[in-house]
Amino acid sequence: MRMLARRLSLYVVTAWVAITVNFLLPRMMPGNPVQQLIGKLTGQITPQQVHAIELAFGIGLNQGLWAQYTGYLHQLLLGNLGVSITLSSPVSSVLASAVPWTVGLIGVSTILSFVLGTLSGALLGWFRGSRLDSVIPVATFFQAVPYFFLGTVMLLIFGSSLHWFPVLGAYSPSVTPGWHWAFLASLVRYGELPVITIVLSSVAGWMLGMRNMMITMIAEDFVLMAVAKGLPRRKVIAHAARNAVLPSVANLSLAIGLVVSGALLVELVFNYPGVGNLLLQAVLNEDYPLIQGIFLVITLTVLAANLLADVLYFVLDPRTRTEAAL
Amino acid sequence: MASTIHDDAVLEIEDFSVDYGWGEGAVRAVNHVNLSVRRSRVLGVAGESGSGKSTLVYAVTRLLRSPGVIAGGRARLSYDDPRTPDAPRRHLDLVTATSGELRDIRWSQVSIVLQSALNALNPVLRIGREFDEVLKTHRPTMSRVQRRERARELLSLVGLNDDRLARFPHELSGGQRQRIMIALALALDPQLVIMDEPTTALDVVTQREIVNELANLRARFGFAMIFITHDLSLLVELADDIAVMYAGNVVEWAPAHDLYHAPRHPYTLGLLNSSPPLSGPRRELVGIAGSPPDLSQPVSGCSFRARCAFALDRCSREAPELRVIDESGRKVACWLQESVTEVPAPLRRGVRRDDAASVSPEAVAR
Repeated sequence: MRMLARRLSLYVVTAWVAITVNFLLPRMMPGNPVQQLIGKLTGQITPQQVHAIELAFGIGLNQGLWAQYTGYLHQLLLGNLGVSITLSSPVSSVLASAVPWTVGLIGVSTILSFVLGTLSGALLGWFRGSRLDSVIPVATFFQAVPYFFLGTVMLLIFGSSLHWFPVLGAYSPSVTPGWHWAFLASLVRYGELPVITIVLSSVAGWMLGMRNMMITMIAEDFVLMAVAKGLPRRKVIAHAARNAVLPSVANLSLAIGLVVSGALLVELVFNYPGVGNLLLQAVLNEDYPLIQGIFLVITLTVLAANLLADVLYFVLDPRTRTEAAL
Repeated sequence: MASTIHDDAVLEIEDFSVDYGWGEGAVRAVNHVNLSVRRSRVLGVAGESGSGKSTLVYAVTRLLRSPGVIAGGRARLSYDDPRTPDAPRRHLDLVTATSGELRDIRWSQVSIVLQSALNALNPVLRIGREFDEVLKTHRPTMSRVQRRERARELLSLVGLNDDRLARFPHELSGGQRQRIMIALALALDPQLVIMDEPTTALDVVTQREIVNELANLRARFGFAMIFITHDLSLLVELADDIAVMYAGNVVEWAPAHDLYHAPRHPYTLGLLNSSPPLSGPRRELVGIAGSPPDLSQPVSGCSFRARCAFALDRCSREAPELRVIDESGRKVACWLQESVTEVPAPLRRGVRRDDAASVSPEAVAR
């Protein structure tokens, strides 16, 4: 437990650093970005927008940096991330409508990719040198192709040309969102192609990692013992796989950060209404409060995913539980 | 005599050979070995690293990993099927057995204890799970409570408290882990327990305790044992018979005390002189000069010739065969035993090693 508490405190510190950097960055920009922005929005700017910009950059507030910082933290605790300049609505509500899409898409794809890759990797490792090995170069090929390129190609072939999958969007425009069957079915249907894209291009990593660990594990005495005990083959493989999966779980936390950034591009390709699309719009419109909010959300998501992977590792490997005492 | 078929044999290894690799590049690691283990008896197998002693038992139990291949021979396991207690003893040639037949007899008839218990126990499983798994696989009718009870009983056999069942391997000491492996090996009352250097990784005091416990457990439950080690003085206390292996061949086989007190093969003598005696006066330890031969190079004549202080001309031309030399059934593969006149003092028949201790092999050779 001490180990977990220590990790948790580390995450709190990391989150605090991320928040502070997020606060400082706009204030360190050279020149007067506020005037520039106001100039750009001439004629269509409301007093609220001006205030939002001033808050974001900390200019013209007649407040010291420290007072601004404590004010920022205070607002953050209340869930107030400022007001989006272009959308004129609170950043928090804009994010609230985009985040579930991304978490859903990326969460499902990552878990699917991890499970598929790990299971196939375990089998590939056990039956190494068999004809199954021919899967590896194929998987590696998809790994090497960038997400967005693969997505574009998939869209062109399976969406536009063959019409196997619907293109663009997260659900059919003919259904109204809500907790009913028609909407959920449409959600799954529209999600298929982006999920397949992400899984295809990330599964090789899990597969190869697991396969290599399996091969290392097979040489271990406890696997030999499992055979000597007369256990059925499936259980012998499970003995090896249970240990081989540990590094993969550790990698899961690292990978999630990459998956988040990579999947943002997939959202653009598939016009998925998630954080990736939102970020693109925000950057194009120089909507700084929104960009700030998105960065914060991404940082916190990656941290949360890391924590989750840590907890999982802690549960799976009893040895980490005692190492805390050292 | 070892190679005759006894009614009470548990395992008979006949003309057994093991290669590493295939075809031209194959290296012979075990060469036409004949050995047998009788009910409730302990066969000790001794030899240096690379002598083929571990390869032999892993191949016999079909646990040998690639590129190790059984090049020939039989390994007949005889056992009473626990499911049909009244039926006559069953026989199974492990070399030709199917994977289903092997799964059936593994652990229930033949269990194994490895050198490092830390590596042999799955690091992420609690000790209780190891017992539970074995019992669940081979005794499917046992209930959860019965399995738990059996695990407790087994732990108490090796002098461990049942709170160990909730522990992970890394939380236990080396001696405790090895005791757990022994308890685990006895879980299904096997006919034969193979011990592959079970005490090598332990300190001398723990080593002694474990050997005593093994002797007691065997007396109580009557399982047969194959005990592999390089430590002949340890073996003599536990084993009934000892086979000494060198470069894949059995070079001497004898009842343990005969072999210990009166070795007849120069290699056995060398092994004995290189480990301290269990009791009696201290004496100078002498190693065996040189190192085991490179098995990938073909050797003409006796494979021990190059390191032998007593080598004859004949040794470089012809390889000696394992032959019975006296009425105890002792077998030796050495030309020295063929010619009465040339036998050096310590190896002479009827001479005990203790009497001849003053005559070092080097002195004799000169």
